[in-house]
Amino acid sequence: MSFSMNSLVGGRSGGRFLAGVALVLQIAVLQMAGAGAVFAVDDPAARLQKTILPNGLTILTLEDHNTPVVSFQMWVRAGSKDETFYTGIAHLFEHMMFKGSKRIAPEEHARLVGARGGRINAYTTRDVTVYHEDVTAESLPLVLALEAERVKNLDISGETLTSEREVVLEERRMRTEDRPGGLAFEALAALSWMAHPYHWPVIGWRADIEAVTVEACRDFFETYYSANNIVLVIVGDFDTAETLARVEQEFGGVRRAEAIPRNPGKVVEQRGERRSTIVYPARIPLLYGAWHAPKAGHPDGDALDVASQILSAGRSSRLYRELVYEEEQALYAEGGYWALQEAGLFFAVAGVRPGADIDRVEALFFSEIDRMAEVEVGDAELEKAKRQLEVGLVKGLATSHSLAGRIGNEYVFLGRVRSLDERLAGIQAVTAADVKRVIGHYLVKEKRSVVQVVPPPETSASPIEETQ
Amino acid sequence: MRWQRKNRPSRCRSGAGTLLRLTLAFVTGAGLGCAQWQPTKPAWEQPPPPLKQGPVVSADALTRTRLDNGLVVLLLEDHRLPTVSLSLTVRSGAGAVDPRRAGLAELTAELMNRGAGDRDALVLAEAVDALGASLSVSAGWDSMTVTVSGLSRDLDFLLGILADVVRRPRFDPVEVAKARSEQLAGLEAANDNPAELVRREAMAVLYPEHRYGLPVSGLPETVQALDEAAVRDLHGAFFVPGNAIVSVSGDVDPATFLAQLAAGFGDWSAPAGGDLEPSGTPPPPAITPTGRRIVIADKPDLNQARILIAHEGIARTDPRRVTASLLNATLGGSGFSSRLMAKLRSEEGLTYGVRSGFSRRSQPGPFSVATFTRVPETRRAVDMVLAELEGIRGDRRQDSEELAKAKSYMVGQFGLGLETSAAVLAGLVRLDVYGLPPDSLDTFRARVSAVTPDRAHRIADELLHPTRAAIILLGPAESLAPQFEDLGEVEVVSP
Repeated sequence: MSFSMNSLVGGRSGGRFLAGVALVLQIAVLQMAGAGAVFAVDDPAARLQKTILPNGLTILTLEDHNTPVVSFQMWVRAGSKDETFYTGIAHLFEHMMFKGSKRIAPEEHARLVGARGGRINAYTTRDVTVYHEDVTAESLPLVLALEAERVKNLDISGETLTSEREVVLEERRMRTEDRPGGLAFEALAALSWMAHPYHWPVIGWRADIEAVTVEACRDFFETYYSANNIVLVIVGDFDTAETLARVEQEFGGVRRAEAIPRNPGKVVEQRGERRSTIVYPARIPLLYGAWHAPKAGHPDGDALDVASQILSAGRSSRLYRELVYEEEQALYAEGGYWALQEAGLFFAVAGVRPGADIDRVEALFFSEIDRMAEVEVGDAELEKAKRQLEVGLVKGLATSHSLAGRIGNEYVFLGRVRSLDERLAGIQAVTAADVKRVIGHYLVKEKRSVVQVVPPPETSASPIEETQ
Repeated sequence: MRWQRKNRPSRCRSGAGTLLRLTLAFVTGAGLGCAQWQPTKPAWEQPPPPLKQGPVVSADALTRTRLDNGLVVLLLEDHRLPTVSLSLTVRSGAGAVDPRRAGLAELTAELMNRGAGDRDALVLAEAVDALGASLSVSAGWDSMTVTVSGLSRDLDFLLGILADVVRRPRFDPVEVAKARSEQLAGLEAANDNPAELVRREAMAVLYPEHRYGLPVSGLPETVQALDEAAVRDLHGAFFVPGNAIVSVSGDVDPATFLAQLAAGFGDWSAPAGGDLEPSGTPPPPAITPTGRRIVIADKPDLNQARILIAHEGIARTDPRRVTASLLNATLGGSGFSSRLMAKLRSEEGLTYGVRSGFSRRSQPGPFSVATFTRVPETRRAVDMVLAELEGIRGDRRQDSEELAKAKSYMVGQFGLGLETSAAVLAGLVRLDVYGLPPDSLDTFRARVSAVTPDRAHRIADELLHPTRAAIILLGPAESLAPQFEDLGEVEVVSP
C-alpha cells in the first residue's frame, strides 16, 4: 500500500484522494432541520462515503460502531430486464456464483461464511442482482476476498450448470407452478408489460431455463460482472480506511467493460383493460390487478406511497376495513406502489373468502380506488399515512442490513442516496389534492390489467376427488 | 432524540470495552480485531478467529423487577433510535388448551386486537394507526404476546393501549363472529400452501391424541364451536399478573417508565374464579411413531412433492438441547454448511431447499426434516435424507472439524440475532417463559464451546431414529405410492 490509511480516517468532507487514484467523495450532508417531521433523527447515511476505483468499481462505505454487525452488499447492475436470449439467465447466474471459482470449491464460499456464523444470500430482481453478507467485523476481510475471487475467477462448468439448472427448476415449481399467487403474479406482469423487458418473470420461462447453455452463462458473466457495473455497499462495524485498502487490493484487478449493452425498454401506452383468467384448483380464489405507475424517483412517488398507506396499512386502512372487516368478502386485500428502475406498477391483491364472489370482491376493490380519485382524503387520514411512512423510515435504521439495502437501492436506481430529511420532507409535502390527482391520473380502468385465479367450476366443492 | 454515537480514534480495537456507550455490549475475545492483514495468504486459508465468549447483555442497560402483584418487568434501554417496543407475554399458549377447543388461543389473540377499553375494533385500529404505531397479539404453543411499538414520544399512549388490550379486551359478540369466520377462511387458505399442508398432515400422524397433532389455529370443526364464553375463559385464566412478563426496549428512561407501568398495571389482579387454569401442556407420547409410517396426502395437481420425515424430539428445557442444535447444524440446520443441503441440493440438484430441526416447546415437539422435489424423484430424495440420518449416527459421525464449524456457525448466528435490543429482550422473555436460568444468553457461547465430539455422538444415537421415522408425502398419490411400496405399508389420505 502506497498511501497512508490515516489520511482517510475520520474524513468527512469531499475531494479526498486514495493513493492518488481513487476518488473519495462525501455524497450527502444531512441537514438536521426537522423538515416538518415531528421528530428528529440522525441519519447515518449522511456520513456515507463514495469511492471509485480506476476500473470503475464504486464503493459506498458507512462506518458505524453502534452496531456489532457489518453488512456487505454487492449490487450488480444486471437483472432479468438485461436478458437477451434466455430469460432467467440473470437469476440462474446468481446461483452459478455460488458454484466455485479457480481457488474455491462449489458452495465453499457460503460454507466459509456460514462457518463463521455469517448470514449469506443473494437475490435477483428485474433490475439488479445483489449478493449480501452480514458478519462481525473480523470476518469482513474474508468476505471481501471471497467476493472478489468469484467476480474475478468464477468457474462456469457444464457439470455445475446441469445440477444448478435442476435446483432452479425446483425453485420455479415452488414459487410459481405449484402456487396460485405465483401463477397470478407471473401472468399479471406479462399482461401489464407487453413490450418492456419487465414482461418476463425474473426466474424465467421454463423452456428457457431448460435450454440455457454454458456459453451463454460465460457471456453473461463477461458482459455484466465487470467492475464498472458493480456497486459495493459496506455498512456497520468496520474501519473505513483499512477496508478501502483491502477492497482496492482485492477488486482492483476486476476487469472493466468497455460497453455494457442494455435492452431498449419502453412501456407501450395501454389503451383499455386487459384481463386474464387462470384456472387452478385453489381453495381461495385470487384477484391480482395492476395499473401502470411511474418509475423509481418520479416526483409522484411520494403521493403514491401515501395512497398505498391509506389503502393498505393497518386495520384502519380502507381496503382492510371495507373488504375484510365490514363486508367479509376477502381474507386479505392490499394495494401498493411498486417502483422499479424503468417503470412502475400500482398493485391490487385480494384473497377471496370461501363462498364469496370474486367479481363482487373486484367491484368492491375498484370502487375503493375510484372513491379516492373522486373525493379528497381527510386531514386525519392523510396525516396518519404520513406518520406511518415516517416511522417506517426510522425503523429502517435499526439494522446494518436494512440500511445497506436502502443505500444500495437508492444509489443504483437514482444515482444518489436521498437523506432521511429529504424523504421526510417529500412525504410531508404531499397534499390531499396530490393523492386524489395521482389516483385519478394513474389508476384508471383503461390502464389496468386484471388476473383472476379461479377453481374449475365442477371441482370447486372438492377439488381433490373430482380431478381424478 | 439523537443516536448515541462513539467516535473511535483508533482502527485497532482490543475488544472488551469498545462499546461502552452502547446498551448492548458485545465483548470480543482477547486478541481479536487487530490481526494484521497478510496479503500473500488468501483470507480463506487463514484460521477463523476463536469463538467469542462472555456476556451479551450489559448489566447497566437491563432492569429487572417485579410488581407486588407478581408481574415481572424487563427493561432494556437503547437510545439509538427514538422508538420503543412494549410487550406483555403470558406463560401459557395453545399447548395448554384442550384439543377439542383447538384454535381458541389464536381466536382470543385476534379478538384482543379487536376492541379494548373504551375503543371498539375500528376506533382502536384508528388510534394505533394514527400514530404510526403497530399493535399485534399472537399465540404460540407456550405463550401469548401483546406487542405495541412506535415512537418513544408516544410512550404514554402506547402503554395505555397495552393495558387496555391486556386487561380490558371487549370481546364484542359481533367481533367474535367476524374473527371466527376469518379464522375459518384462513384454515381454508392453508390448503393452497403445500408446505403448511404437509406439516399439518405430519403432526396428525405423530400426535393423534395430543394437542400437538392439530395446528395452533385449530381445525374447522373445533373453531366452528368456539364462542365468546370460551374466549373469556381463556383470557381470564391466562392473562393474570402472576403469569405475565412486561418487556420494554428502546428509548425509555427506566425510572419514569416504571412509574407509568405501576399506574397502568399496579392494581391488576387475577379475577375470582375462571374455568381454565393456566396449566401446562400435557406430555405427548415419549416415542412416536413407534414404527415406520409412510403416509401420502393425495394432492393430484402438484408438480412437486413435499416431503416431511419426522419423529419425536426434545423439549425446550432438555439438557441435551445445545448439543442437539450443534448436531442439527451439521445435519441440516445451517443452510449450505449442512450435509443435507450439500447432498440433496449442491450435489444432486434434487431440491431448492432442505432443512432439519428440533421444534422445542415446553413439551417435546417433533424433530423433522423438510424438503421438496419433482414428483418422479421423490423416492430418491427420501432415501438420501434417510441415508444422511443413518450416516450421522453410524459410519459418518460428526467429526471434530464439523463440530467446530457448527459451533462457530451457532455462535455467529447468535450474535447477529442480537443486533437489536428488541431481539435481545425477546430472548430474555423466552428464558422466563420456559423457566430457564436468566443468564442463559450470557452463558450460551461457553455452553456451546464445551460440547465434545463424544457427547455429540451419544446425542445422535439418542435423538435420531431414521428406521422408525414417519415419512409424510404431499403430492399425487398415483405417482408417489408405487415409489414407496417396497419400503413399507403406504397409507393414502385426503388432505
